[in-house]
Amino acid sequence: MTSLRELQRDVRAALLGSEDAGAAALVAADGLAPEARLQIYRHHVFTTLTAVLQAVFPVVCRLVDERFFGYAADRYIRVEPPSGPCLFEYGATFPEFLDAFPPCRDLPYLGDVARLEWAMHRALHAPDAAPLGPEALRSVAPEAAGGLILALDGSVSLLASQWPIEAIWRANQPGAVEEGVTVDLRAGGVALEVRRRGDDVACRVIAPAVHAFRCALADGRPLAAATERALAADPTFDLPGELGALFREGLPIGLTGSPSTTEND
Amino acid sequence: MISSGGAVSPGLVGIGLRAPHVAEIIATPPPVGWLEVHVENYLGDGPAPRVLDVIRRAHPLSLHGVGLSLGSAEGLDRRHLERLAGLVRRIEPALVSEHLSWSITGGAYLNHLLPLPYTEESLELVCRHVSQSQEALGRRLLIENPSSYLRFWHSPIPEPEFLGELARRTGCGLLCDVNNVFVTCHNLGQDPAAYLAALPSDAIGEIHLAGHSSNDVDGRIVLIDDHGSRVAPAVWALYEQAVRRIGPRPTLIEWDTDIPELAVLLEEAARAGRILEPRAPAGAPHDVAA
Repeated sequence: MTSLRELQRDVRAALLGSEDAGAAALVAADGLAPEARLQIYRHHVFTTLTAVLQAVFPVVCRLVDERFFGYAADRYIRVEPPSGPCLFEYGATFPEFLDAFPPCRDLPYLGDVARLEWAMHRALHAPDAAPLGPEALRSVAPEAAGGLILALDGSVSLLASQWPIEAIWRANQPGAVEEGVTVDLRAGGVALEVRRRGDDVACRVIAPAVHAFRCALADGRPLAAATERALAADPTFDLPGELGALFREGLPIGLTGSPSTTEND
Repeated sequence: MISSGGAVSPGLVGIGLRAPHVAEIIATPPPVGWLEVHVENYLGDGPAPRVLDVIRRAHPLSLHGVGLSLGSAEGLDRRHLERLAGLVRRIEPALVSEHLSWSITGGAYLNHLLPLPYTEESLELVCRHVSQSQEALGRRLLIENPSSYLRFWHSPIPEPEFLGELARRTGCGLLCDVNNVFVTCHNLGQDPAAYLAALPSDAIGEIHLAGHSSNDVDGRIVLIDDHGSRVAPAVWALYEQAVRRIGPRPTLIEWDTDIPELAVLLEEAARAGRILEPRAPAGAPHDVAA
């Protein structure tokens, strides 16, 4: 007799797979074919998960149209179904899926637009954290400053694209067409910071050196290494000014000394 | 120590709190006895759970889960259970409920309350998971009968008996979704009155009411539990039967697709209140929605 574990695997294969792998044989007909009964469940799974993705990626959906979005979502759901029941976490890998999805080849910016939409969605559900005031730096000895590691607000995402994705995003907001917002795809790339303050998520364009600096900090690199990255992007990078801006904007939420610096000391 | 919520009196009608109504409900708390939320929408951080901190000041809350997957053969998702326990501590809900179903297998969440074969194997498994959950939450759970579109060949225990035995073995309560009883019985060729009669009245701690749609599938009418319309006349009749038999219970109006104006939900709640009211025990607060 089929164990419960086997039955559940068979039902999953029937719902997500391309063919029924034995589940229909376990289902009583009762006047309606088992496959038709399973189809009711399959339909619900795909329509609800597609709606979840559509709500997170409305601009992507607008760019490709709803029908194509439904097709892409269907493929994605089959290969990467949700891993847990909190569906606000579902879709993190959809941008990479779109990067590699052959029918999207002619829209090379689509994955980056999806990354921007995911960053905005993710920010909404990130933990609240109290920002550190600049006085946190006062107790740091100057020779130890380079080894400092700053933890940044968990809602922050830093993005860079070779496409004008912020302009694309803005041009596809409700009302943008009426206002005559247009996008020049040749406008070049952009660096962006997405974060939540209070209940509101916002996205803004930042300078490439600021992007390099904040990315390095977000990756857990010490201040000296982050500064090197920023200077490589722009030799005129103003460290004191940018450090001040970081604290003024309330980004650092934690401060530790670099373990390697401690060892060297 | 497992405590049973009980801050909702049996004669009170509640409505499901849905996103389009949140601002209106915070601005002007509606005249309903309590509110129920889909718990998975509030397990992240940020503004979402803060909404519940505000709402609970004006109304008792019920946390209704769809994600525990109590019937999963591979065991409970411990992380999900811990997050749920965290929200229960934060919100101190009057009621906590889940479903007799499964959704997770092979690490994939199938976003549907999938049916179980009702066997001794399933019963032991669900009992174990309900007990583990009640232990982790420190609360008595109410378990809801699912709406079904199929049954498995090998499923020897009738659903109401399965639920009754689950309640007896674990001490959990039952959430009787009268619309689900109607939908399941129609789709599987069973008698809804007999189904209700087979449920242990004492275990029922909450009732759900919702709309369903009627669909032609290969020439046969299948009822889909889409929560997208008013409660059907036949379901109101079944609800009256249920209340006559078991007495008043906290009753919820659920609406999830094509969500109408709040006023429509309040009309449905008032109708349920008129059915409950004559049977509310003496001294119980009157349903303010009625």
